[in-house]
Amino acid sequence: MKKLFLCVLAVMTVAVFGLTFNAAAEEGVTDTEIHVGQWGPQTGPAAPWGAVARGTDAYFKMINAEGGIHGRKLIHHYFDDAYNPAKTKAGVKQLQEDIGMFAWVSGVGTAPGLAVKDYLMEKKIPWIGPSAGSRHWIQPPNKYLFNTYPLYLGDAQLLCKYAVETLGFKRIAIAYQNDDYGKQGLEGAQKQLAKSDLKLVAEIPVNVADTDMKPHIMKFRQAKAEAVLLFVGPAHVARLQGTGKAMQFEPQWMSTTTCGDHPLMMAITKGLYAGTISASFGMMDPKKIGIGNKEDSMNPSLPLLAKYKKDAYDKFAAKEERWGMTFNAGIGFIEPFVEALKRCGPDLTREKLVAELEKIQDFQGIMGTVSFKPFDPKDPLCRIGQQEVFLVRAEADGTSTVLTDWYTTEFIPMEH
Amino acid sequence: MVDFLQMVLSGIAVGSSYALMGLGMVLIYKASEVPNFVQGEMALLPVFIAFMLLSTYGVPYYIAFPATLIFALILGCVLEFVILRRAKDPNILGLIIITIGMEMMLLGLVSWKFGADQRAMPFPISSYDSIIIGDIFISTLDLLTLVVALVIMVSLFLFFRFSKMGVAMKATQQNENAAALMGIKTKQIRMVTWGISSMVGSVAGLLMAPVLVEPYMMWDPMLKGFAGAVVGGMTSLPGAVFGAYIIGIVEHLFGGYVSIEFKSVVAFAIIVLVLCIKPSGLFARHYVKKV
Repeated sequence: MKKLFLCVLAVMTVAVFGLTFNAAAEEGVTDTEIHVGQWGPQTGPAAPWGAVARGTDAYFKMINAEGGIHGRKLIHHYFDDAYNPAKTKAGVKQLQEDIGMFAWVSGVGTAPGLAVKDYLMEKKIPWIGPSAGSRHWIQPPNKYLFNTYPLYLGDAQLLCKYAVETLGFKRIAIAYQNDDYGKQGLEGAQKQLAKSDLKLVAEIPVNVADTDMKPHIMKFRQAKAEAVLLFVGPAHVARLQGTGKAMQFEPQWMSTTTCGDHPLMMAITKGLYAGTISASFGMMDPKKIGIGNKEDSMNPSLPLLAKYKKDAYDKFAAKEERWGMTFNAGIGFIEPFVEALKRCGPDLTREKLVAELEKIQDFQGIMGTVSFKPFDPKDPLCRIGQQEVFLVRAEADGTSTVLTDWYTTEFIPMEH
Repeated sequence: MVDFLQMVLSGIAVGSSYALMGLGMVLIYKASEVPNFVQGEMALLPVFIAFMLLSTYGVPYYIAFPATLIFALILGCVLEFVILRRAKDPNILGLIIITIGMEMMLLGLVSWKFGADQRAMPFPISSYDSIIIGDIFISTLDLLTLVVALVIMVSLFLFFRFSKMGVAMKATQQNENAAALMGIKTKQIRMVTWGISSMVGSVAGLLMAPVLVEPYMMWDPMLKGFAGAVVGGMTSLPGAVFGAYIIGIVEHLFGGYVSIEFKSVVAFAIIVLVLCIKPSGLFARHYVKKV
């Protein structure tokens, strides 16, 4: 009896010491696992963007199949927030406080991201690669928040520059989603055109629920716009282009990285998207392809992307999953995170991860080059990540013709 | 002047879709005395069925569209029979919540079965062609919607006026107990009304689908159809149509001359205005029960 009691006591002591040891280790990290959280709309109006989280999931599974990172598997916890900030907040808090995430990656949307930004930053939990090109991620900069998505402001700059300097247009208009995404595009376009002493000839807001685009097209026609910037979602691009065609208004349409999935856009516009110029944040290298040459996103020329197609998409994506820019973005936004995890070595802590991320310079994955700097609360660029974009034109066969080389955009600070 | 005429014409065109949705809602309101918030999804599911028949199975239009409408008819009947009829002595609030619940179920079913991606549905006419009269444009799809809406309105008028079933429906809607005493099977009548309403809404859905098919495509037209029905009077079929056209035209004029940003909310401002002036709607008769 005494021996049994001593044995139980010994087991309890070991357990208690064990628990104490684990509690002292970094949250979300064990000897064999790294727990990473992510939200993304799998239902609701923004559900097409749910592919971002599924892309990340396949990417993590590929890494795990290749042995993980320093012997640890990436355990991906993602949940459906339906693009509802209240659900994002509840889901993030639940996962963080019940299971304990080491870090958060991607996460679709500005509004859902803003709902949890302060919570994550106060708890000093790293968040890498928000899936929205919003200035809120870097101004003011946060030590634990690393942006990788080029800002929408930059898309507008390059699109306007190309429209004015290369295409020679003077009458440029914009259809902008009536939210942070659209308004940053509007601001970027206004600032860029001002450099050429030009102003937007029409600034037309589009509400997310709007389905009838006739009044919008009438405004563009009245303004005699030669080019129209489309800072809206894919569905509104389809509606605007369709209504424009029916009303015999066919300007040079120019869209953002959010509508850069050309095969998808060609399908939902029944081919009207052909000829549309869009900004791109990667998935090909314009330098290697060459200006004027074509890229077929279904057969990527980028060796790394081709590997992801074979080893992540083919093996781990669901059968009905579509290979495309949105799925790939779920990989591209977080490659710097994986790179930093590798550089951390086996002794993984959040502070170490942040330090390694800060050392990343000209990192090249499937997107543009990504660089961070040591944290400086006065320098938003220390957390901007990728600043370069390029332009492509959608072709009728679903391919994309490269129009420009990488262009480093200018950061426009928020006016207070 | 050209712009004004263009806006009015565009308003009438979009109002036709709202009118079809509004007609569906009024039919059900008259039968079940409930604002039917599942109206949009009763059209959504058949639209996706049509999309599947056309795109996946290559079924020709002349089979796919009638099959879709028959499916819509059955869907409406099933919803009434399986869900709504089972509610025990429900009050209006209970019925509204049931329709909202059904809306969520159907929306979830569509999202789960067909996915959330946007798609374009094949259609016999191009949604991008237009007819030009002077400087005024109307797309052929809008013109078709206008004609179809008018045909359905006239058909419904003739149905309620001259068919035995239509007269039985009217009788049930006016006084269910008296109708039952006259030998009318009122429960069946209510079920068929749901079926017809679903079919009318599905016609609107099929006419919107060539532009874009996505799970949330019927939400805005349903709200605007509801707004039109409230403006015209929830118990008046011509009122719902007239209200929907008012909403469509005012929306376009407001968007063109005042603010495109607030174009979408003007429909609801009209509701408030009409309800303040004539609570039963512009066309509905206001009955006062006398004891």
